Amino acid sequence: MIKFLSQLGLYFILLKKVFSKPEKPVLYYKQTMREFVYLGLNSIGIIVIISFFMGAVITLQTAYNTENPIYPKYLIGLGCRDSMILEFSSTVAALILAGKIGSNIASEIGTMRVTEQIDALEIMGVNSASYLILPKLIATLFFNPVLTLVGIVVGIFGGWIAGTLSGVITSENFIYGIQYAFIPYYIVYSLIKTVFFAFIITSVSAFQGYYVTGGSLDVGRASTKAVVYSSILILLFNVILTQVLLS
Amino acid sequence: MIKVSNLYKSFNGKPVLEDISVTFKPGITNLIIGRSGSGKTVLLKSIVGLHDIEAGEIWYENTLFNKLNFVGKKLIRSEMGMLFQGSALFDSLTVEQNVLFPLEMFTDKTQEEKIERVNFCLNRVDIINANHLFPSELSGGMKKRVAIARAIALNPKYLFCDEPNSGLDPITAILIDALIKELTEEYSMTTIVNTHDMNSVMEIGEKILFISDGRKCWEGNKNDILNSDNETLNDFVFANSLAKKLRTSGK
Repeated sequence: MIKFLSQLGLYFILLKKVFSKPEKPVLYYKQTMREFVYLGLNSIGIIVIISFFMGAVITLQTAYNTENPIYPKYLIGLGCRDSMILEFSSTVAALILAGKIGSNIASEIGTMRVTEQIDALEIMGVNSASYLILPKLIATLFFNPVLTLVGIVVGIFGGWIAGTLSGVITSENFIYGIQYAFIPYYIVYSLIKTVFFAFIITSVSAFQGYYVTGGSLDVGRASTKAVVYSSILILLFNVILTQVLLS
Repeated sequence: MIKVSNLYKSFNGKPVLEDISVTFKPGITNLIIGRSGSGKTVLLKSIVGLHDIEAGEIWYENTLFNKLNFVGKKLIRSEMGMLFQGSALFDSLTVEQNVLFPLEMFTDKTQEEKIERVNFCLNRVDIINANHLFPSELSGGMKKRVAIARAIALNPKYLFCDEPNSGLDPITAILIDALIKELTEEYSMTTIVNTHDMNSVMEIGEKILFISDGRKCWEGNKNDILNSDNETLNDFVFANSLAKKLRTSGK
C-alpha cells in the first residue's frame, strides 16, 4: 500500500513538472509536430486494419445471431454502427494503442534514462519531464480523437463490405440501419472517452519510462508495465465514464 | 571554483559518500580517482545536482548550489557542460543537431550564428564532415568528441567528465585527455574528471582527489602520487603487475 501511494505521489510530481512553463516554446512546437507523426500518423495504419476487420466481424456475428425473421435486417447495420461508436473505436482501439504507443513511449523515455540522455538534458538546465512528455501528451490528446473517428468510419465500411459481399444483408438495409435512430451524442461520448484514454496511455507510459533504473532489461519491464497498467486503467475508466456520461 | 564541504550522501540508508571536502580550481584539470564503486560518479552527480545530498555544502564561486531552487540551479547549470560515460548523445538527432541543441534552447542567436558556433565546436574537437551522421554511425571516440563539442557549445565555466576514456583504446584515450586539458586551459574552465585510468592520472592529473569506500583518502597531484606512502592509494596506483615491478625495481 505504501509503495502504491509513493508511486502515485511520484506520478503527480511528474505531472506537475510536465505542465510547467516550457523553456523555449518554439522547440516544444517542433517536438510536438514530430510526435504527431510518430504517435499519431504512424498509428493510422493499425487502426484502419483492425477497425475494418472488427466492423466486418461484428456485422457477420450480428447477422448470424439474428436470423429470426422477427428481427428487421437493418438492425445488423445499426448494431455495427453502435458497436463501433460506443465501444470499439474508443475502448478497444485505446487498448490496442496502449500496446503500440504506450510501449513505444515507455521504451523511448526509459532508454533515454538508462543511457543518461535525460541527465544530459537536466545538466543543460532543461526541464526534461516537460520537454519529453508534454509534446507526446499534446499529440495524443489531439490526434487520438482523429483515430477514433477514422476507426468509426472504417469499421462501418468494413461491416458494409462484409455484409454485402457475404450476402447476409443488402446494401440498402445496411445503409438504412446505420442511419436509423442515430444519436449524435454517442460520438461525443466516444471522443470524451478517447481523450481520457489518451491521457492515461501517454502519462502512465511516460511515468514508467521516466523513473526506470538499471539497464535494458529494466526498460523492457517498464515497457510491459506501461501496457498492463494503461490497459487496466482504461478498462476501469471505461466503466466510470460510461456510468457518468450515459446514465 | 567549486568548493565541496563535508558532503554526505546515502542510498536507502547506506552511506555512499561521507565527509568529503575538497576545492576544485579553474584552469586546471581536477581528477577524482578511485576503484569502481568507490563513489566517484555519485560524487560528480552530487556536485552537478543530479543527486540531492543529505548533508554538506556545494559552492559554485559564492553561490551555495545545493540550497538553490530549480530556477536558481538552472542559472548555474547554464554555465555547466558535462561529458557522460556513455556520451549521452541524443539518438534521434544528428551530430549537428546534438551540438545545436543547447544553442537553440538557451540562446537567441540567428540560425547562421548558431551553425557557425556548431562548426567551430566540432572543428575544435576534430570532427570534420560528420555533421549529418547519427550517433549510431559514430565510433566510441567520435561520440566522446561530439559530446565534448556539445558540452562546450555554450562556453561553460564548469566542465564535468564522467569516465571520459571508458571503452576507448589507449591512443584515443590520450587524445581525449589532451583535448580536455587544452580546453580547460584555453577557456579557464573549472574541470572535474572522474576516472580510474592511470594513464589519464599521469597525463592530466594537475589536482587529484582519491576516494575509497566513499571517503576522501588522499589529495595531491600527478607528481606526488607515485611517491605517496598511503597504502590504499598505492594499492590502486600500482595495481597491475607492470607497475608493481617498476615500483619494486625503483624505476
